Amino acid sequence: MPHGYDTEIAIRVDDVHLALGDDLPLAVLAGVDLEAPAGEVTAIIGPSGCGKSTLLDVIAGLVVPDSGSVVTASSGRPVLMPQRDALMPWRTLRDNVAAAAELRGAPRGDARALADREVARVGLAGFGDHYPHALSGGMRQRGALARTLLAESDIWLLDEPFGALDALTRSEMHRVLMAVREQVAPTIVLVTHDIAEAVAIADTVLVASPGPMRIVSRVRVADAGPDAAHEVLASLRAAGVAA
Amino acid sequence: MTTVPQVEPASPAAAGPRPRRIRWGQVAAAVALPLALVLVWQISAWIMQPREWILPSPATIARTGWDVHERLWYHAQWTMLITVVGFALATVVGCLLAALIARSRVAGFMLYPWIIVSQTIPLVALAPLLVLWMPEFGAMVTLAALISIFPVIVAGVDGLRSTDHELIRAVRTLGASPGWTWWHVRVPAALPRLFTGLRLAAVFAVTGAVVGELVASDRGLGALTRLSAGQFETPVTFAAVVILALIGIAMFLIVAVTEWAALPYLRRGTRPGSR
Repeated sequence: MPHGYDTEIAIRVDDVHLALGDDLPLAVLAGVDLEAPAGEVTAIIGPSGCGKSTLLDVIAGLVVPDSGSVVTASSGRPVLMPQRDALMPWRTLRDNVAAAAELRGAPRGDARALADREVARVGLAGFGDHYPHALSGGMRQRGALARTLLAESDIWLLDEPFGALDALTRSEMHRVLMAVREQVAPTIVLVTHDIAEAVAIADTVLVASPGPMRIVSRVRVADAGPDAAHEVLASLRAAGVAA
Repeated sequence: MTTVPQVEPASPAAAGPRPRRIRWGQVAAAVALPLALVLVWQISAWIMQPREWILPSPATIARTGWDVHERLWYHAQWTMLITVVGFALATVVGCLLAALIARSRVAGFMLYPWIIVSQTIPLVALAPLLVLWMPEFGAMVTLAALISIFPVIVAGVDGLRSTDHELIRAVRTLGASPGWTWWHVRVPAALPRLFTGLRLAAVFAVTGAVVGELVASDRGLGALTRLSAGQFETPVTFAAVVILALIGIAMFLIVAVTEWAALPYLRRGTRPGSR
């Protein structure tokens, strides 16, 4: 296969350029090429502010690139899970999750029943009536994950979803994500700046340059074996990122 | 039916909300200062015996107030009507203008300077003109609305413009239309700030009504303070002022209770560490 993966490609980003700002346009994406195999986790690692989140916005269809193309092999639109949980504080956990079904046209009652199922799936059974601020950071992220599940998209875009959590909660969330992934097998693009997280979760790690962003190298975690983290670190150093 | 496998559950569900208790300490703190002031005032009046038409004692004010309660009630009804209608008008028009300014930059540039200018005009100067242009009731309501609309607009615009960008980003990828995002995200997100403006507006509406009545009306508690002071009925003037204060407090509390009912997620009992 020309792309070197064993499975079909779910997301193909081809030579995407983007500059943001009306008066003084700033180049953010400078020829980004990316292929995310279906059912796998592709991590993008790079320095803060290099344009990783903007790339996710482009893949999600929220931002139109100046040039280049994005093709997704998905039945629905990609769903985004941002760094902060982005739950609506005025809705209970159940109603927050149910929003994903409401937006697909489900009646409120059905949406709530579906939400209860997903809330239970992420281990939050019994917390459906709680408001987000009454939950811990990890629980809120589980809630955001339940909402992502209920969106029933084949493609998940995770924008540093665990970056604001402490180390213990983050590792717990990795286990939750892996358990959920085994059940629904979505294609995941994970943006992170944590090498350990990228290597622990992803099948492929793409290393991004400092802005304007390009993908400068690719590490297949299974191929690299125990040296995967060192390979990623070496790639980051070569890109002028890590000290 | 498919069974849904679960990941390991979070810690056991918290107990339900505890029954609400009246916080007697807070009630005592709220009434202690006014009670102490009234007591000091009454004792001073006993000792110094000032003339009643200059500074009546609280007991005299209460007694006179009871004697003329029908007259007070007649004027209070008028003031309350103007306050409530003026506040309602300010709320509706203020929210519409805030939505327009938040949605359209052009509308913001066009409207905001005029709204700010409207606040620099002394209402006292405007009252006689309004009475010339429209019936008395309309003029009084307009004055009450004019003075109370400003906090509604400022708080509404601030609230609508401060929506969490990450939240909008997330719901848009879930398929939310601009209309859904407006009604289900931006408007609810703006409500806490809007209610702060409404609490101010509720009190300002009383001030607006009284200013109008003082300058250009023969009805209402504002007019009663002017007329009674002119006839040296100082205890009546004081009684009217006390009732005005009570109307202001009642307006504030009505908005606060509405806020409590409309925004259950902000209640103390639902917040971590609040028990």
